[in-house]
Amino acid sequence: MWDLKEYRYASSPEDAVALLRKGPGRGMFIAGGTDLLLFPPACDFVVDVSRAGIDRLAATPDGDLFLGAAATLHTLTTDPLVTGFAGGAVSHAAAHCGNRPVRSTATLGGNLCNALPSADMAPVLIALDATCYIADVDNQESIPLVDFFTGPRRTVLGDRLLVGVALPAEAGRRVCRSRKLTRSAEDISLVQVAVALGMEGGRLDQVRIALGAVAPVPLRAGLAETALTDLDYHSDCTAAVADAAEIAAGECDPISDHRASAEYRRDMVRVLTGRLIAECLDDLRRGGNGGAA
Amino acid sequence: MTIELILDGKRTALEILPGQNLLQALRGASRFSVKLGCETGDCGSCTVLLDGEPVNSCVVAAARAAGRSVTTLEGLLGDPLMQRLQRELVDKGAVQCGYCSPGMLISLYALLKQDEAPTDRDVREALSGNLCRCTGYVKPVEAALAVAATLGGAS
Repeated sequence: MWDLKEYRYASSPEDAVALLRKGPGRGMFIAGGTDLLLFPPACDFVVDVSRAGIDRLAATPDGDLFLGAAATLHTLTTDPLVTGFAGGAVSHAAAHCGNRPVRSTATLGGNLCNALPSADMAPVLIALDATCYIADVDNQESIPLVDFFTGPRRTVLGDRLLVGVALPAEAGRRVCRSRKLTRSAEDISLVQVAVALGMEGGRLDQVRIALGAVAPVPLRAGLAETALTDLDYHSDCTAAVADAAEIAAGECDPISDHRASAEYRRDMVRVLTGRLIAECLDDLRRGGNGGAA
Repeated sequence: MTIELILDGKRTALEILPGQNLLQALRGASRFSVKLGCETGDCGSCTVLLDGEPVNSCVVAAARAAGRSVTTLEGLLGDPLMQRLQRELVDKGAVQCGYCSPGMLISLYALLKQDEAPTDRDVREALSGNLCRCTGYVKPVEAALAVAATLGGAS
């Protein structure tokens, strides 16, 4: 059993930060708890943020989408605000995390703050230009999600709380697809790729290629993105897609472990990136979001 | 610490430890349908409903249930839908050793409460968190679809 001395409940983000800092000893935030109860870390107390009012999903009048950090992955799978954004790409990614009962409690914020290099929600959100909102006791800061991760299991948070992520309305109009490679459906990802393509006058614009599980932190394949930008997507793009996929494979930095070799992971980045770009291009030619499958 | 919750429909006070999981707390409260299998959120033999949603009680902190509603199989023994599911699982031969059955029943009950006309795929998704080491995976799906066919939403 997890050797905790105290379990605290936070009523707001500011309260949560204050309760964490109050001590004594080492404290941690807990939301769904599916990761923490699996491998209980050494700490003295936890602060439950599931009642801190950060589980809401909201759309602004302009069409920006806000996803509360304590929203469960099941909620992201089913809520119309999310299924209707960027062809349901975020819902698709959430639906492929864990199994049904895990998604009932596991949260978006938990997945991101746990900061595994293979965090399943990171690539698709990075491809949609997600911004994180981070609460301190007396102020909030926002930073791009791609800058949130600083290493395996490390983030910029310190003793502050992730309250949610926001996706800009413009990203909701991109075509976006994500895929992960796993040994079994529920297993930890070997490779994750998310591609989002915007368009401007028949050409690709706002190209995003995000990779997970193939470097210490989720990352964007910036050179591959540049290679695709301004491409006329009604032309034959076969060679350009193959080039971009090859470039993306060169931009990742995978490790070899008991799950897969670095060489295999790198080559799968190439394969998945190429496929996803091609599928997104098909979506664009058909005139919009074709769904995230 | 003491938490108050609605356990199987009744307001209940439970004495728990801060780091205890919900599985242990429920078995401590004589809910022995909640089986200890993997204790890693993989096998689903400890599935219960938390505010109506199926969860693996082994990876939910007991303290998280404070002020919420927790439903185990014991709380649904008189429920008509649960009784039909139980009957159908038996009739279809979906029960072998029986260790996974309470978890499967809870998962299927949650599905049919939310969707009276699930597809084969929906049922399989609902059971995605329930492992059966007797490897009986087809008959539970058949049983669930048979029950669904008798519900109002069947097409």
